[in-house]
Amino acid sequence: MWSFVLRRLISSIPVLFLVSLMTFGLIWLVPGDPASVFLDASATPEQVANLRRELGLDQPLWTQMLSWYERVLSGDLGQSILLNRSVAAAILERLPITLSLAAIALVLAVILGILLGSLAAVNHGGWGDQSIMTVALLGLSIPDFWLGLVLIVVFAVQLGWLPSGGFVAITEDPGGWAMSMALPAFTLTITQIGFIARMTRSSMLDVLRQDFVRTADAKGLGHGFVVMRHALPNAMMPILTVTGVIAGGLLGGAVVVEQVFALPGVGRLIIGAILSRDFPVIQGGLLMLAVIYLLVNLIVDMLYAVIDPRVRLG
Amino acid sequence: MAELGSDAIEGLAPQRARLAAFLRRLIANRSVALGGGLVVFVVALALLAPWVTPYNPLESSFRERLLPPSAEHLFGTDHFGRDVLTRVIYGGRLSLEIGFLVVLATGVFGTLIGGCAGYFRSLDNPAMRLMDAWMSFPAILLAIAVSATLGSSVTNVVIALSLATIPHTARIVRASVLVVREMEYVEAARALGARDTRILVVHVLLNSTAPLIVRLTYVFAIAILAEAVLSFIGVGPPPPAPSFGNIIANGRDFMVEAPWVTIFPGVAIFVVVLGLNLLGDGLRDVLDPRMRI
Amino acid sequence: MKTRILQIALAGGMMTGGLMAVGLPAVVQAQDGGDVVIAQLQAPPSLDPHVTSAQAARNVNLHMYETLYARDENAAPVPDLAQGVEISEDGLTYVFTLREGVNFHDGSQMHADDVVASLNRYREIGASSTLLSAIESVEETGEYEVTVNLSEVQSTFLDNLSSPRAPIAVIPAEQAVMGANEIEFIGTGPFRFVEFQPDSFVRLERFDDYSLNTNYSERDGLAGYKEVFIDSVTFRFITESGSRVAGLETGEIHLLETVDGPSAQRLAENDQYVVYDVLPFAFQVIKFNHAQSPTDDVEFRLAVSAALDMEEIMAISHPDIYEIDGGWLFTNSAFYSDAALDLYNIADLEVARQHLENSSYDGETLTFIVDNGRANVDTATIVQQRLAAIGVTVELSVADWPTVSQIGFTPDGWHFWTHGFGIEPFEGPASVIAPWVDGVSMQADDPEINRLYNALTTEMDADARAAIFAEFQAYMYENAVAIKAGNYGLFQVSTAALENFVPFRIPRMWGVRLNQ
Repeated sequence: MWSFVLRRLISSIPVLFLVSLMTFGLIWLVPGDPASVFLDASATPEQVANLRRELGLDQPLWTQMLSWYERVLSGDLGQSILLNRSVAAAILERLPITLSLAAIALVLAVILGILLGSLAAVNHGGWGDQSIMTVALLGLSIPDFWLGLVLIVVFAVQLGWLPSGGFVAITEDPGGWAMSMALPAFTLTITQIGFIARMTRSSMLDVLRQDFVRTADAKGLGHGFVVMRHALPNAMMPILTVTGVIAGGLLGGAVVVEQVFALPGVGRLIIGAILSRDFPVIQGGLLMLAVIYLLVNLIVDMLYAVIDPRVRLG
Repeated sequence: MAELGSDAIEGLAPQRARLAAFLRRLIANRSVALGGGLVVFVVALALLAPWVTPYNPLESSFRERLLPPSAEHLFGTDHFGRDVLTRVIYGGRLSLEIGFLVVLATGVFGTLIGGCAGYFRSLDNPAMRLMDAWMSFPAILLAIAVSATLGSSVTNVVIALSLATIPHTARIVRASVLVVREMEYVEAARALGARDTRILVVHVLLNSTAPLIVRLTYVFAIAILAEAVLSFIGVGPPPPAPSFGNIIANGRDFMVEAPWVTIFPGVAIFVVVLGLNLLGDGLRDVLDPRMRI
Repeated sequence: MKTRILQIALAGGMMTGGLMAVGLPAVVQAQDGGDVVIAQLQAPPSLDPHVTSAQAARNVNLHMYETLYARDENAAPVPDLAQGVEISEDGLTYVFTLREGVNFHDGSQMHADDVVASLNRYREIGASSTLLSAIESVEETGEYEVTVNLSEVQSTFLDNLSSPRAPIAVIPAEQAVMGANEIEFIGTGPFRFVEFQPDSFVRLERFDDYSLNTNYSERDGLAGYKEVFIDSVTFRFITESGSRVAGLETGEIHLLETVDGPSAQRLAENDQYVVYDVLPFAFQVIKFNHAQSPTDDVEFRLAVSAALDMEEIMAISHPDIYEIDGGWLFTNSAFYSDAALDLYNIADLEVARQHLENSSYDGETLTFIVDNGRANVDTATIVQQRLAAIGVTVELSVADWPTVSQIGFTPDGWHFWTHGFGIEPFEGPASVIAPWVDGVSMQADDPEINRLYNALTTEMDADARAAIFAEFQAYMYENAVAIKAGNYGLFQVSTAALENFVPFRIPRMWGVRLNQ
């Protein structure tokens, strides 16, 4: 197992290298630079040039690249141009928000999705199956940011039950934290439940058709028991796969939802950095997201082995 | 009758029968019928836009700003005084056009990359590592970054969205090519001395189209959703031509006072995407029952 | 030599902001204390006052930092950290006397060396360092005396020194040696820095050892008696306009720095809120690239100018908060002129077509660059539609501000560009002319504008300056150098609990009380 983990970690190095090359490509292509964000429309080109020098942006790209790799290898992601702090600090401040948002949505989507998917499978072809699958499909088809906007109008503006945006730290006020996360997490969950429910249903159906379940059924063990005890664990593998896939999707969804609800997470950080040309933050942020994505997939693969001892990691 | 001839005829007949059976199943499938119906309806509206819409989508009239829905303006007006219904229908044109172009680009490049990686062993590892890197940050963030970098135009939005959907598609094509290339008829063709490109195009790719078609239907849906997100962030197709996304982006400043400007295009996206998802599900069931997810 | 404070009544703008709905009279004396939350659109790029001229930064920084001279309620320069100034007969030497006993937030006191170091830092890295370009040297001539020598007479020197654009703030000498963005945020202002979450909020607290300026008895523009009653102010950055309004309605936010027209009208109906219209706040200007054909052609530019219906542009881009006025200064300015205003808002397609026929335009597609701010995109969209009516094809190129502002100061890649001009008309006539000097804003040098600018900045007589400005305005119209569409304003909304708030160039939090 550990040698597998080690090999995976080593094989992710070229992937991360490619990621960093791609982000350099982006930065090289992008017009404009952070200097313009400091200045209003009346700034003259000389003032911009001055500021560029101050910010160290007048170096050629390859020099910037070399020094970036040098620093990253020693564990330093550099300084943000606009945020007045190190890139690592800026990311670490915001990571908990993004991760907790994605984690809440993942847990809710997995629990609800598996529940709905199992119900549908057990009820195969029946009324329950059809309505659950319809709901799952509807959830898949809603634009997430639009749902967020509508929820703000209904729950924050019309009813006044929940805040429209902003973030309260859990350490400061757990109640306020829950309120501030409710709408964003709900928005994100709705759009992800569908995937899990559909996946659960079809893999459950496959398993339910298999011999050992029929045997168990024939032994008169009670259908509910059979499903919980035999069918669900066997259906976990494909469900786990889809969880790994949506974990990536969740990060993307979180980016958009953060924007709608003004949550200061990593997605908002990176989008803000893209729009203001804060190059070190774009670099570091994308690299960090890639690391998280690779880690999530590694964990998913490890869970395969834990859940199903037949799987040999190799 | 010569043996060869009868072989050829026997080869064709079941193919024709298979096609007929396939079409029957396709039509009989409820998801295909419903989803296809929705998509056809929206496409028809978009194509017939000049004839079915009561107003000009671009002409502003500041005295008629932000009127609520009424008999005259079924979906109300936006802050330029433009009819929202008309703009949503014309918006469908641009959004569907973008979706279609993304499907085209993704289909071509996904097949090219996935096909080569699956068929030529030496290419497999480097190509898939590249896809891994490509996929290792959220696709939507990649699209935002690319669109912001290139500047907003329809072409750039298509490029940004295609870049975001190609790697996954390439993987799917590769996976089915890996299966197909070991099949007996490919072995046979190879034994008969067919060239690699011919084998790849005629045998391998044609036999992996089923998963590709299903995937591209979903890509279409993803592209429509993602166009709206890009517009929302402010890097979508430029005004004044409406798209589903930029109508919403335009209306969100007036979301509380004039929710109709935001709500109707959102519903339109929902309908199109629902139609495409249904169609995708149906096609998947019909084309390849083993692919169900 | 005698102390002479140049009294230049510049366009204030802010004072004309009438109240759309007046808050309930404060029958009960408001209690001191309270934490005010202000929502603004964007985050400040930096809290280093010298390096940024962004409005988002100004809003925050002018609570923490002060300048030698500052603009009063009518935008005229008056002493703030300075006690006064003596100007030599030849107009080349300014001797500033400093107020004594002024505390910095770190506990130290302000002396002449801090002022000298701050001015020198600004001359080197200031975002608007041209404001101080006339300075030859700055010397410490006493513990509380600073002497500035100019290399040439500049009638606008005190205007420049007091500009809030990128404030020429006084910071401690040991901070002033730091590079851009490297300082600790220490000023002399009535609020001191607490916390900055760059994409979320800035929090400032009342500075208890603040040295009130006893030369004044009340709030006066960005100068005056800055007494603070509240405990703290938090600036939150919320991009989504719906979220901002919802925040006010749920009580999380006390003041919205800008609200769109429909929301403002809805909130005005509720007596829990007070809506202020801050009008005029800025010009909507459409710029031409004179380095490209056909926008280098006067006839073509006059065609565009004649075609546009300013009412349409302003009503859509700035719903319910605009003025149709063509003057290149705000109407309350002492230098306001109506020269050539018969050429403003012609809105006649026939006249436009005649000009177009005489022009070099030949059916080519022209590029209109615009950043993705809604009002600017709307303006561009309407201009595009209007020009389509006379047969001119325009394509919009929307990008974010860094991209657009980079392209817009080069001779290629654009024909039209629109954005707001806010701080320039507030600062006064010289600042309105400055963007066109050396062809910076139209990418082709115009000697006449350069001449007018030099004449204005070296002319010490106010009437003569007014005449020069009228000449400039007529020149702008007769040559359609650029087009002014109109004045626009901002709606600001507060909860009724926020008392004694008067809108200004920035949302001032001194003098206000929060009724809890």
